[in-house]
Amino acid sequence: MRPWATRLHIPTFAVAAVIVAIWSVVSWKYGAYVLPSPLLVTQGLVEVVASGEVWKHTGASLYRIAIGFGGAVGVALLLALAAFVSRTARGVVHDLLAILNATSVFVWIVISIIWFGLSNWAPIFTTFMITLPVVASNLVEGVESVDRRLLEMGDVYRLDGRQKFTSIVVPSTIPYLIAGMKIGFGLALKVSVVAEIFGVTTGIGYIMNYSREILATQMVFVWALVMVAVMLATDRLVFDTLARRMSAWR
Amino acid sequence: MAVKLVVDGVGKDFLIPVIDTVSFTVDAGGFVCLLGPNGCGKTTLLRILGGIEPATRGRVTLDGEPIVAHQPHARKVGVVFQEDRLLPWKTLRDNVTLVLRPLAVPPAERTAHAARYLSLVGLRGFEDYYPGRVSGGMRQRAAIARALAIEPDVLLMDEPFGALDAQNRRIMQREIRRIWRETGRTIVFVTHAIEEAVEIGATLVMLSARPSRIRALIENDGTGQRATLIDDLNTMIMEEVERQQGASGGDLDGRG
Repeated sequence: MRPWATRLHIPTFAVAAVIVAIWSVVSWKYGAYVLPSPLLVTQGLVEVVASGEVWKHTGASLYRIAIGFGGAVGVALLLALAAFVSRTARGVVHDLLAILNATSVFVWIVISIIWFGLSNWAPIFTTFMITLPVVASNLVEGVESVDRRLLEMGDVYRLDGRQKFTSIVVPSTIPYLIAGMKIGFGLALKVSVVAEIFGVTTGIGYIMNYSREILATQMVFVWALVMVAVMLATDRLVFDTLARRMSAWR
Repeated sequence: MAVKLVVDGVGKDFLIPVIDTVSFTVDAGGFVCLLGPNGCGKTTLLRILGGIEPATRGRVTLDGEPIVAHQPHARKVGVVFQEDRLLPWKTLRDNVTLVLRPLAVPPAERTAHAARYLSLVGLRGFEDYYPGRVSGGMRQRAAIARALAIEPDVLLMDEPFGALDAQNRRIMQREIRRIWRETGRTIVFVTHAIEEAVEIGATLVMLSARPSRIRALIENDGTGQRATLIDDLNTMIMEEVERQQGASGGDLDGRG
């Protein structure tokens, strides 16, 4: 394969073309309710973009993610700091994260509905609880893998705690933070959408479920595509750029 | 200002005694090479001198003031480790200015100060490079510049050229002699390479096998025959290696 062809994902497009062809055939055989045709989905996509509806629901979902996931990153930073400062805290944080990691999304969805009712806070809380252990586990691992020999160098040259923290601990943990945030954000998008099925009247999850209820299956596909687009865009534009910026020294 | 370093009956036990008792003095502006078979505690001794690790017994004084591990003292000690231990995310200049921060060097002067020492070790023009972008020899030079930049009373070096190829090694040995002459610092230099020690050290301290004592203390003033000196030291080291293998139960589990 020529390099330019690989770079432009030509092979992927070829596979996609085959899938769309099969999709058309199956759709024609079983009808638009089960599987709407590619044409119908494309029309739906154009429609939501033209009417601006796409921004309303994507915006609502992203707003909830920003608060829930943002809060998770903040708390994760505090947990990692505690794990770095105290050995006892490190043990507690480890156990806590193990428990959180083992808890199902559904547990948080149900609990958040009980606690926050049918409000914005239900998906926000669910997103927070699910992404916290992912981001925090990565950060704690990063803090633990700080090169002891560099810290010893800091001691020899009598850097104080703050200088060692900002010059040695923070820079060596940043790659772990970015990796954790990247995974965490992907998870946040997937989870908040599920939580939006209950109780709210905006957001990608709500509108997908609503489309299903009014038997507009093509819109379910449209919003799924919107979700994929949001995910890919943030991955490329935000996290990859951030990672490149932060590792200019490599 | 260079100061006198006194090592007085220093010993170290981990699970077994590693350093029995070692005493020697490095005069102000002296250059001592610590030699000995592998595993005899050279690095441990250097770490004790640097206040990185506590001694089990004995004491180390710098200009009369004792060095206690993990406790601040008035004297400045520069350490060059086996690895460069540069921060990969900082440029060579920033790696040097970092260690100037705890000192009384005004922020405005740090850059010029760092540039002066980087140029002393032959890194002029490379100040803005990150460690990952320069060769191993250049990284080790930067580590030496960092140690010199604090204008240490004593400079401790732990096999600093061990990771370098033969050519770079030769160049760096000459450089360290030059820097010693130009700056007049008190230097303790650990190596297991006899040729290196004879090449650069003014005083050679040969340690015995574990638990180590001083096997020989030789003034290397250049008057004796170099070849004979190297031969003698080689013989001593081989004797010590054999003794160590004998002490740890013969050839079966003698790991030296």
